[in-house]
Amino acid sequence: MKIRKELWFGFSLMAIILITVVVLTPWSHLTDAHLSREDLGVLGLLMLALIVVAIMLGFPTAFTLMGMGMFFGWLAYRSVNPELATRQILDLMVQRAYSVMSNDVLIAIPLFVFMGYLVERAALIERLFKSLHLALTRIPGSLAVATIVTCAIFATATGIVGAVVTLMGLLAFPAMLRAGYNIQLSAGAVTAGGCLGILIPPSVLLIVYGATAGVSVVQLYAGAFFPGFMLAALYVGYVIVLAKLKPKLAPPLSEAEQKIDLPPFARALGKRGRNAVAALSRAVAGKAGAGVPKRTVVAQFMVSLLPALAILALLGVTYQVATAPAVEASTAGLVEAGGAVAADVKEEAAGLVGQLTPEEEEAGAKGAPSDEAKASTSAPTAEAPKPASAPESPAAAKVAEGPSASQPGPAAEPERLPVPIWFWIVFAIGVAAILAIYLAWTWERLEVFKMLLTSFFPLAILILAVLGSIVFGLATPTEAAAVGAFGGFVLAAIYRYIDHSRTAKTRGRGSALATTVKDLGSIVKDSSFLTAKTSAMVCWLFVGSSIFSASFALLGGQEIINKWVLSLDMTPVQFMILAQFIIFILGWPLEWTEIIVIFMPIFIPLLPHFNIDPLFFGLLVALNLQTAFLSPPVAMAAFYLKGVSPPHVTLNQIFGGMMPFMGIQLVALVLLYVFPGIGLWLPQVLYK
Amino acid sequence: MQRLLLFVDKVSTWVGHAFSFLIVGLTLLISWEVFSRYALDNPHAWAFDVMIMMYGTMFMMAGAYTLAKSGHVRGDVLYGFFRPRTQATIDLVLYIAFFVPGVFALTYAGYFYAAESWAINEHSSITAEGPPVYQFKTVIPIAGAILLAQGIVEIIRCAICIKQGYWPSREEDVEEVDVDKLKEMVHVKDEDIKQLDKLVVRQEQGR
Repeated sequence: MKIRKELWFGFSLMAIILITVVVLTPWSHLTDAHLSREDLGVLGLLMLALIVVAIMLGFPTAFTLMGMGMFFGWLAYRSVNPELATRQILDLMVQRAYSVMSNDVLIAIPLFVFMGYLVERAALIERLFKSLHLALTRIPGSLAVATIVTCAIFATATGIVGAVVTLMGLLAFPAMLRAGYNIQLSAGAVTAGGCLGILIPPSVLLIVYGATAGVSVVQLYAGAFFPGFMLAALYVGYVIVLAKLKPKLAPPLSEAEQKIDLPPFARALGKRGRNAVAALSRAVAGKAGAGVPKRTVVAQFMVSLLPALAILALLGVTYQVATAPAVEASTAGLVEAGGAVAADVKEEAAGLVGQLTPEEEEAGAKGAPSDEAKASTSAPTAEAPKPASAPESPAAAKVAEGPSASQPGPAAEPERLPVPIWFWIVFAIGVAAILAIYLAWTWERLEVFKMLLTSFFPLAILILAVLGSIVFGLATPTEAAAVGAFGGFVLAAIYRYIDHSRTAKTRGRGSALATTVKDLGSIVKDSSFLTAKTSAMVCWLFVGSSIFSASFALLGGQEIINKWVLSLDMTPVQFMILAQFIIFILGWPLEWTEIIVIFMPIFIPLLPHFNIDPLFFGLLVALNLQTAFLSPPVAMAAFYLKGVSPPHVTLNQIFGGMMPFMGIQLVALVLLYVFPGIGLWLPQVLYK
Repeated sequence: MQRLLLFVDKVSTWVGHAFSFLIVGLTLLISWEVFSRYALDNPHAWAFDVMIMMYGTMFMMAGAYTLAKSGHVRGDVLYGFFRPRTQATIDLVLYIAFFVPGVFALTYAGYFYAAESWAINEHSSITAEGPPVYQFKTVIPIAGAILLAQGIVEIIRCAICIKQGYWPSREEDVEEVDVDKLKEMVHVKDEDIKQLDKLVVRQEQGR
């Protein structure tokens, strides 16, 4: 029998562990049923060693944990009271299972997974990649940058590494190769980008960690936000620098590839000037011509106004926050913001975004009544936006408050704070941004913006709405996940309908609708089946591991580990490095679910000894486990990419391409460790 | 024999499929509850209990289905390198050593756990006058029994594999990464990949 090298390595490792187990087991004490405390502790450690062997053998981990936990738990109980042991271990098992079944943190997992499958099947990744690619043509290495950005957004929304890497391997990888990009670089961008969804919230990993470590998922989400974006930014920065230094690896696109096809009306109006806003505003003002219908002109003009409205809305919200005395509503800032957002919603083509974000609609709805209320009590509505833009706004606000103070209702309304200087700086930046945008608003840019509007923004707004409502405490993660899943369904419905009505133009609207409904049926069916499988996998693993860790605690294995680690007399830094190193090593053979569910319960109790925040530790672990996807031999991302890449692209090339990105992950890990503020700033600001 | 195996597979799959639609219900229920609370100002006290029950029931009942589709996570360090016969031997031993006792104990204990709950007509204590939970606890023995049946089928599969040297077939199911479906979704054909391959070869030679 020929045994390969890998097998030899694995078997010898297992043999070493097994021999240690056999030697150390207190055999003589086992038979007389009364084990001493130390013997039990040793048994606990043996259990841990055995579980490592069993996992390496490849048996479904959930049941390994369950069976082993039961057996060793029974031993632990038997040492105390042999008659009750069987009953006690059975009770323990069923109670542990029930506690996972009624866990109010884990319930978010199926919902986020469901949302991911629905968004994945919405078929918008093609548009997303194309529009981002066109939007970023000027940047060096633009295709690779567009790939990473697409991955980051899509992976965030779906969180399914395999699907994202496969899809990008089909879309972006050929595009990059055709443009003459280096194979390694292209492969690295696809695989590294595809794994970002593990870290950037809403990620399932953080929920699992939160449930295991007892850390609030909300805080984890707030904390992982910036590290996730930092990692994506580091990837993008690396690609840009590399493309600048070695243009051969990522040649700039040719003129023909950069060209954007303009629709007829744009070409007609384009003769009057390159700036779209100027030409459109002139056309709106009346001098419509060149055979372009007025409706088109007005619609395009409205679309062009969206960025300005968005920035103004943002400024309005900032003003609101900067000067907010309390939670009082009905102020100029909110009215302006609400109005702008409401306008925003109205203008979205086919109400696309409006349907996706109940928050926005709510904001709009809130804005409207408060608007009316203001009009009836004090100043006319037309004046309402003024305070935000005029420098004497505090005074104006006071004047506006004057009459309303005589009303019985809001008499107790506290005064607004004076506007701080930084607000004016932000305000100036905002106005400058609007000016800059419109000076460069050519017809091509308008087209690109319209493409982004139908691909990038809906997804970005869906993610931000889900995350925002969680982080700002409007909804629990569960609720946000459910609404997100619903949003994913709406996205899928809209995109499928657009696709079908485009292909089935001749057969009319009815048939497009019919095919869409049929499609949606199969999407929902497939997604539910996959969700059931994924959540059964994660949650049964939880059932197994909670039985296992209960037995481990009963045996006192945890105490021994604690004592041993403390006896090493490490500094917190040393401990942190050791822990991260162990997790990094474990990431090679094991999947992140197993690492978190089995090994985190061992690390977590040690954290208080070293004054380490479990939240911070969780962020480091999440960042660290990114590498688990990119490190051979179990680098799943590489195999998914290999599955869809041309036969002559070798696995070694893909691995080679992943290495620099793995290096960047380590840099990010160090950065996060040296500057914990990257992760902890947001949760501290929000939940002081 | 193969027919019996596939029949049990089918039962597990059917149960898993049936209960997986709970996720649709769960999504709609929570979305409605959020809407009802914020927009209609009418929260329901029972909603939380019902959510938890839907989630718990879904994943428990899908356990056997996941096993039937070999969807439970494995440590895939060495397993993939083994020949089918070695794989089956290891699986067979570990099924008997860990799976059967563990799942049997869970089912057995779950039966009494649920029976107790029925006997005292237990209701949820999260909210006042919460909904009954005995039916929810009954899920444990039922899911355990189906899982155990599926596990026995898997044991027989292992035995067959040891005998014949290759794994007996399974029923098809939706895959998480279905490459063909994904290709269709982004309109990529196999010819495109073949053409690209020529380009790759050229790039390699250009060095």
